[in-house]
Amino acid sequence: MPTVYADIPILSAILLICLGGLFLILATPRKEAARIKKISAVSSGLTLAAAVYLFFAYDRGVGGLQFAEKISWIPSLGISYFNAVDGFSLPMLLLTGIVFFTGILTMWELTERVKEFFALVFLLVLGVYGLFMSLDLFFIFVWYDVSLFPMYLLIAVWGSTRKEYGAMKLTLYLLAGSALILPALLYLVVASGLDTFDLLQLMDPGTFTPAQQRFAFVLFYIGFGILAGVWPFHTWSPVGHVAAPTAVSMIHAGVLMKIGAFGVLRVGIFLCPEGWKYWAELMGLLATVGIVYGVLAGLRQTDLKYVIGYSSVSHMGIVGLGLATVTVDGLNGAVYQMFAHGIMTALFFSSVGYIYDKTHTKAIAELGGLSKTMPKASAYFIIAALTGVGVPCLASFWGELVVFISSFRVYPLYGTLAVGALAVGALFILRVVQKTCYGPENAKWAHLPDVSFGLAIPRMILVSVIVLFGLFPSLLFDMIRTASIPFMAGLP
Amino acid sequence: MTTTATLSDPNVATTLAACAAPLLAFAAIFLGARRFARLSAGLSIGAVTVSLAGAVFLLAANWHAEAPQVFSASWLVSDAVRIPVGVLLDPISLLMMTVVAVICFLVQIYSLGYMAGDPGFSRYYGFMSLFAWAMLSLTLSSSLFQLYVFWELVGLSSYLLIGFWYEKFSASQAGKKAFVMTRAGDVAFMLGLFVLLVGAGTLDVTAVNGPAAARMNPSLITLSALLIFGGIVGKSAQFPLLTWLPDAMEGPTPVSALLHSATMVAAGVFLFARLFPFFRQSPAAMGVFLVIGTVSMLLSSTMAMVSRDIKQVWAYSTISQLGFMIMGLAAGSFFAGVFHLTTHAGFKALLFLCSGVVIHALDTNDMFEIARKKGRRLKLAMICMTLAAAALAGIPPLSGFFSKESILAALAALDNPIWLAAALLGVLLTAYYAFRLIFIILFPRPELVQPESGRGHGSGHGAGTAMGSALVVLAAATLALGFAAAPLARFLSGDPAAAHPGPHLPWLPYAGIGLAAGGLLLAWFEFGRPAADQKGFVERVPALAALFANRWYIDVFYARLISRLVDRGLAWLCAKTDQRVIDAGLDAASKHIIRSSGVLSALQSGMIQHRLLVLFAVVVMLGLYFIA
Amino acid sequence: MIVPYSHVLALAGIVFLMGMVCTVTRRNLIMILLGLEIMLNAGALALVGASLRWMSMDGQAMALFIIVVAAAEVSVGLALIVCVYRRTGSVDPNFTETAAPEKPSV
Repeated sequence: MPTVYADIPILSAILLICLGGLFLILATPRKEAARIKKISAVSSGLTLAAAVYLFFAYDRGVGGLQFAEKISWIPSLGISYFNAVDGFSLPMLLLTGIVFFTGILTMWELTERVKEFFALVFLLVLGVYGLFMSLDLFFIFVWYDVSLFPMYLLIAVWGSTRKEYGAMKLTLYLLAGSALILPALLYLVVASGLDTFDLLQLMDPGTFTPAQQRFAFVLFYIGFGILAGVWPFHTWSPVGHVAAPTAVSMIHAGVLMKIGAFGVLRVGIFLCPEGWKYWAELMGLLATVGIVYGVLAGLRQTDLKYVIGYSSVSHMGIVGLGLATVTVDGLNGAVYQMFAHGIMTALFFSSVGYIYDKTHTKAIAELGGLSKTMPKASAYFIIAALTGVGVPCLASFWGELVVFISSFRVYPLYGTLAVGALAVGALFILRVVQKTCYGPENAKWAHLPDVSFGLAIPRMILVSVIVLFGLFPSLLFDMIRTASIPFMAGLP
Repeated sequence: MTTTATLSDPNVATTLAACAAPLLAFAAIFLGARRFARLSAGLSIGAVTVSLAGAVFLLAANWHAEAPQVFSASWLVSDAVRIPVGVLLDPISLLMMTVVAVICFLVQIYSLGYMAGDPGFSRYYGFMSLFAWAMLSLTLSSSLFQLYVFWELVGLSSYLLIGFWYEKFSASQAGKKAFVMTRAGDVAFMLGLFVLLVGAGTLDVTAVNGPAAARMNPSLITLSALLIFGGIVGKSAQFPLLTWLPDAMEGPTPVSALLHSATMVAAGVFLFARLFPFFRQSPAAMGVFLVIGTVSMLLSSTMAMVSRDIKQVWAYSTISQLGFMIMGLAAGSFFAGVFHLTTHAGFKALLFLCSGVVIHALDTNDMFEIARKKGRRLKLAMICMTLAAAALAGIPPLSGFFSKESILAALAALDNPIWLAAALLGVLLTAYYAFRLIFIILFPRPELVQPESGRGHGSGHGAGTAMGSALVVLAAATLALGFAAAPLARFLSGDPAAAHPGPHLPWLPYAGIGLAAGGLLLAWFEFGRPAADQKGFVERVPALAALFANRWYIDVFYARLISRLVDRGLAWLCAKTDQRVIDAGLDAASKHIIRSSGVLSALQSGMIQHRLLVLFAVVVMLGLYFIA
Repeated sequence: MIVPYSHVLALAGIVFLMGMVCTVTRRNLIMILLGLEIMLNAGALALVGASLRWMSMDGQAMALFIIVVAAAEVSVGLALIVCVYRRTGSVDPNFTETAAPEKPSV
């Protein structure tokens, strides 16, 4: 894979914008909440613009790593500040930009501790951006932890419904994951004998014996997999999503869960392809169980956000199934599904967040008739639901389709079960739509206002992204292919 | 042989314009025009007019075309997975496209009157455009994945339109039921596509019908044919997934006319016809299709015999007629099935639109209620409805007679006479239930008729211009279409003789007519003649009537299945596993960790004397150790 | 040397043990401090005995150091005890104990 170095360090610029936004927010007096929000919107918008630029400026003909920046940091330990993007990470950067920007806009009406909230969100996203662009194991680990720790405060302070419990559970789970990742990282770095944390050097075939790879891959898979909601390590996800405030749910389900899957790909699969192949069948089993289990458990939920939480478990199972196929198509479908699911859950949570903000309830039984009271809010909810059901020409259909095809080829049984879960998934999501949006107008909510134009902007962005990539999936698939095909071809 | 066309080809350009116009109308309505009802309707009707013009142009231009034309581009390329997007112009797709465009156009015109004043008027036309786009694209799809995409999208528009009046619980329930039941079929469809893809390596329609499938293992062909047929069963509401269609009548009546009788549900049969050469390679699968078509046809006929809701009767008859089409196709006659599809689209849409006029005017679905409110005063609607019912029953010289006759001829060619017998029984039942409805409305029992004072609202106005003109056009089609059999047969299969498949049995048309007349007379005897007590022979046996009225308890079975097995079984199990096993296990583990850390923390109690004691004890131990 | 060194060591050991028991068991800071002093003195006693045994001044110098340190320690220690007494109204060492484990929230 060629590595093209950047003339202008755009990747660092993204990190610096996040950092700069963070300091600007900290330097703004607490009373000027409006200015804090403007600063946040502008900074996040700038990162989004940079991500979009990168997405289109990336030379698909050349492929490989581009916009690379490398500065040696601690030479004696082989740690360097090494950023670059390829076809796997660019969709993730774009996703982060979109979800970050729309998440900030969604929280425009926040009044409680505005300054701290936005500062922590910036810190969180700084870690996310860093992780997606970093190619140094040390930095990947650091960014991973940077993105985890603001989560606790964000949920525990601004959350709802058992927020302390949710925050504690989530943090413990994710730290347990990081406790598995660190030893695996150190083990590989030491075992390689190369004295470097550079991912590119470590991923040379033959650096590690198959036995080493099999061992380390398990740790990576579980460590990152916890964050990706792999069954049976998923139970933090519904609880955490329910407890988190809207923007945090959006970023969390939209981006943070993708960190887990991306970590499995970038660290686990890149470093330990032998381990990947060895454990693939088991990964497929866990993912299939997750897909089926998520929709079934979702059927019993009575809280709107729990429903979305379980649908996330199911949809992330599709990502896992794609990764488990050990094929180019599986990788493509998985990365596409990561992107599509991120946008979809962001829309889901932002529409549910609006409903919750106005009605102060997430209990499905108490809602109903919202299509009459707030036609726009429920329209966004229904679009998100239809995307979740897998309606074609909305983004996530393509990811699911490609993953299903490739898994059907490799594991016919798992593929069949996963496709079968589609029918139950339709039942479970449409039931929620029926109970919340349809039915006679509910007098309790009749006075509530519909989504204002300003608050509609982030939702409209998300809907248009869903439709755009639903109609033109090749926009993204052509990008992912530039990374997946050489990667699979380079495997021994 | 196919010819590959380019984008600049007039055929392809027309096709794309015809397909894209409704999509643009849909986008325009939801992006801006929603607040202006007339503008929305204008956009939608304008778009469908473009589609109609395109369809007619294409049909005329290709009436004598030698070979199918294909235009293909790539939609998505992953690696091994390639999903093309394209246009396939061959007789069946052109015919279906024309049928769809005509009915879409007429129904949208009709809806101007029917939906006037509805608060969701613009939304209605938006969804109608979405449907028009998806359905037209479905008919023209050149690969099966593309077909699947639009197949799902027509399902989506069906969901949205059935639940159009979402305030009504029954409507949203019916929409959900329709989506989930067809989705269950689509799961099988998708798996069938996967099997086909693995076996044949391509999903291109012409390839699947031609050389690619020939390479496949015969058992794989049967498997994939059966699975794909699952999708047909769901979409065309065949046994065992047939109960969503009668419920779907909760939608506005024009929607029932367009989606749930003439076009969308016929998409299943269209798919069958589309893959006819492929399906024919598996005789075993064809046998199964024949059984399912027959069972659906008879079951739904029995259900129609006891229903009091006029729309439901027509819904059951739709299932039954779709069953007929599938029987015809499964019997090996491509032409019979497709011809019946075409004529059925005309007279069934007419039936629904007439019912719509009646329901609009009298505000009830119940046939006895309509009779009581003097539904027969709506002259145009009643004449058209009688005409269409006669076509449904297979009375010559209406279109239904000819198409049903060719299906009967195809069945007569089979070795086993039981299929022909079943079909003839179906003809009898069809005539009976169709004219039961007509006679009940036309000849109300005098003591039930509402006194003149109760004319109430609306009995004065019948069909407006918009609604009336659609009825007249469809009635004309019902009268004329039957005589188009020979040219259509030549167009579809290149051979005018295909209009009369099977051995020439001179008695068969007479048997068909005789049984239809018999059903009609039975209905007259029980419901029409002045002394009739308007109670059918089925209703005299309460157990049978209950069985039919409850749809053979199929719905009860599904409700139990979902609530027992899925909701209270599997879902309960998963939810409990989450709470009781995974979460509880972790909570227990963390409690144990906390407790054991309590033991260790007792050492760190901060009591200075304990520390000293430990200190001394350790020193003493060390001393002893070093001395020894 | 009239008294054998072993007897001196035995005496020092006994005194040390007494001081130790006093330190560990008494529930009074003053008595604990006293025990500490006794242990220091036991050490000093052993050192002085050793100085006589080997005729070297080092031991006695050490003993002097110990006396000085003990005096300084007593003054500081007593001052601390007075402070503790003023603050808590008690000279019981258990009273000042605060490091009990909290109930965790999970």
